Amino acid sequence: MIRLAAAALLATAVAAPAWAGQRSAPTADCPQGVLTLSLLKPQNNPPTPVMIAAWEAANKCMKVELNEVPFGQLADKISVLAASGSPPDIVMFDGPNTQTYAAAGVLLPLDKYFPPGLKDDMVAATLTEHTYEGKVYSPGTQQASLALFYNADMLAPLGITPPRDLDHAWTWPEAVAAMQKCQKGEGDNVSVWGLAPSRFGNATPGFVYRDMLFLRTFGDPKAPPESSLYKTYWGISPDGKTAQGWLNTPEAVEGAKFFSDLFNTYKITPKAGIPNAFQDGKACFTIDVSYFVAGLVAANLPFKWGVTPLPYAKAPIVHTGSITLGVMAKSKNPDEAAKFVIDVSTGKIAEDYNRAARALPAMKSISAKMEELQVYPLNIFNEEVARWGHPRPPSSHFAQYDKVVTDALRDIAYGADPKTRLDAAARTVQPLLAR
Amino acid sequence: MRRLQHWGAVAIFVGPFLGMLLLFQYVPVLRMLWDSLWDFALLNPDKRSFVGLQNYIDMFDDPDRRQAFLVTFGFAVGVVCTVIPVSFLVAVYLNGQLPARAIVRTVVFLPVVTSAVVIATMWVFLFDPTNGLVNSAFALVGLPRMAFLTSKMQALPSIIFMMLWQQTGFATVLFLSGLQGIPGDLEDAARVDGCSAWQRLRHVVIPLLSRTTVFVVVIMTVFSLQAFAPALIMTGGGPEGTTNFIAFDIYELAFSLQQPGLASAESTVFMLLVLGISLAQMRLLRTRWNY
Repeated sequence: MIRLAAAALLATAVAAPAWAGQRSAPTADCPQGVLTLSLLKPQNNPPTPVMIAAWEAANKCMKVELNEVPFGQLADKISVLAASGSPPDIVMFDGPNTQTYAAAGVLLPLDKYFPPGLKDDMVAATLTEHTYEGKVYSPGTQQASLALFYNADMLAPLGITPPRDLDHAWTWPEAVAAMQKCQKGEGDNVSVWGLAPSRFGNATPGFVYRDMLFLRTFGDPKAPPESSLYKTYWGISPDGKTAQGWLNTPEAVEGAKFFSDLFNTYKITPKAGIPNAFQDGKACFTIDVSYFVAGLVAANLPFKWGVTPLPYAKAPIVHTGSITLGVMAKSKNPDEAAKFVIDVSTGKIAEDYNRAARALPAMKSISAKMEELQVYPLNIFNEEVARWGHPRPPSSHFAQYDKVVTDALRDIAYGADPKTRLDAAARTVQPLLAR
Repeated sequence: MRRLQHWGAVAIFVGPFLGMLLLFQYVPVLRMLWDSLWDFALLNPDKRSFVGLQNYIDMFDDPDRRQAFLVTFGFAVGVVCTVIPVSFLVAVYLNGQLPARAIVRTVVFLPVVTSAVVIATMWVFLFDPTNGLVNSAFALVGLPRMAFLTSKMQALPSIIFMMLWQQTGFATVLFLSGLQGIPGDLEDAARVDGCSAWQRLRHVVIPLLSRTTVFVVVIMTVFSLQAFAPALIMTGGGPEGTTNFIAFDIYELAFSLQQPGLASAESTVFMLLVLGISLAQMRLLRTRWNY
């Protein structure tokens, strides 16, 4: 009895979760059995059930088992699973973390699995983001950029007509003037906000993908490389190891002050989240990605809406990069997992997804087939990626940079002194980057 | 033979739990102590370098870590100093013959059985600076709107208030059981001696409740020091680190900032401090009465 109890305890303790891919007993159609690949992905993100079903239909002896987590918990989950003995075969991760995961040996380089021409077919921004030390870790599922959505019915009576092309994009002062004019109510009694709160990350201000643009746009990529204008635009040194003097330049502080003013001086955007503020008519403008279009179309809103390029201060900029598929280095089925990643990121499956989601493709060949990308409103996002797009500050410690800067920007939105807070962020993140 | 059977039965019933205790409590503690001496990233734990006590030195040098300790202990003091008197008064009320006791008891205890995550999420909505119910109530009585969780001055007091709401029920039940355990003849004797209600409370009830009070103080301190959900769900440790509780700081260091060695050092120091505080509380507040 004692031995039985001890055995049961030991079995409970050592039992690992069923993460690793498993193969069933042989069948007539599948002499080697049906292989089940495990996939970790964030909720409400690709690969969609349609994509997986299409791949399974084309690969009868393989199945994909999904495990979903909220987007905010994805990076932590990957950290834990990377160290475990049985990680998933495939993971959907945030593209800017490619260098972090590649440097730590979490991801498998996929170059050797790429069919001829695939690398050349990748959009330049995607190839840059998914490459580390000359190796490519993901073909990319989609690209993304931000633009300013507006409620046309609210703006029309005010005589405001936002521009529809990048050459005539608003500057931030022009955009703020329009937001102030459109806002209804002030102080404690705002019924319609000029700008909707961020819905990115955990729906508080500060998410780097959206809010670091307020700093970077105060820089200038054409300025001399040793100038603070240049450093402000990039936010981190080219080797990804220095934030001190790049993140907290005088121009970055100016940008942070402007960002703070949106909340604390102009008071055109709330500090706390309001779910669906734009769709519910509680905000005149919102900053969002191309696939927000699909949601607005599907919602069949009772008002007309439009899209205008993201405003800028000194230099226009949008962050590129999106979530993407990769193969875990510890996968026991790397060949099959790589096949899944490449199949659903390219060809018909990816094309169908990009069309349905109104997402910008990561493949040039798919972009060429999507005529809607040349037409308003998606042309704005497409052109932004091509002309204004830059990755989030690339570093093999981007995940740490992202966390520290997000916290700093959130505090600045809540009223912290921009210079003090950016200096503190640079001081905190510097040793992490240098590790 | 009987003796062997006896120990066999003990092993069967106690063994699994003892094994799990060792496996999930004490082995991780030993592992934490070991990890605190190394510098490594969770993403690649095999690539590590021995740094001795450097993580401990870094921890004490880092203003963010020091702030986390201050915030957490300030929070614990705030919770204990509010929960104890409020729950004691509610328990005294429930121990009397006043009306609606059953309803009050249910209402007070309900938050205790609600998940910490649900409570934190609910209070995010209640404390919303724009559309929150608390600000709406303030507006009704002519008070200005408060920023609550987005203000570095108000965020911690707001969470202390939430904890007061959440933990009062549990502390009340403990105090109530203590009150009901006090022999009635002691109070009767005090009454015969001419003691007023306040004097009976001050000189009879409170001293005789000291054992319960010690228990409640220790439990509330430990609960407060373990606070994690409010920081994770309500504030993300902000604004400006004013709600960055140690448990959350350890989580962020290990998972987001990829410094599990430093997180282990902080955990070790925290564990020792909590142990010391609990021992000190039990010693300082030890009962001098018995009945």
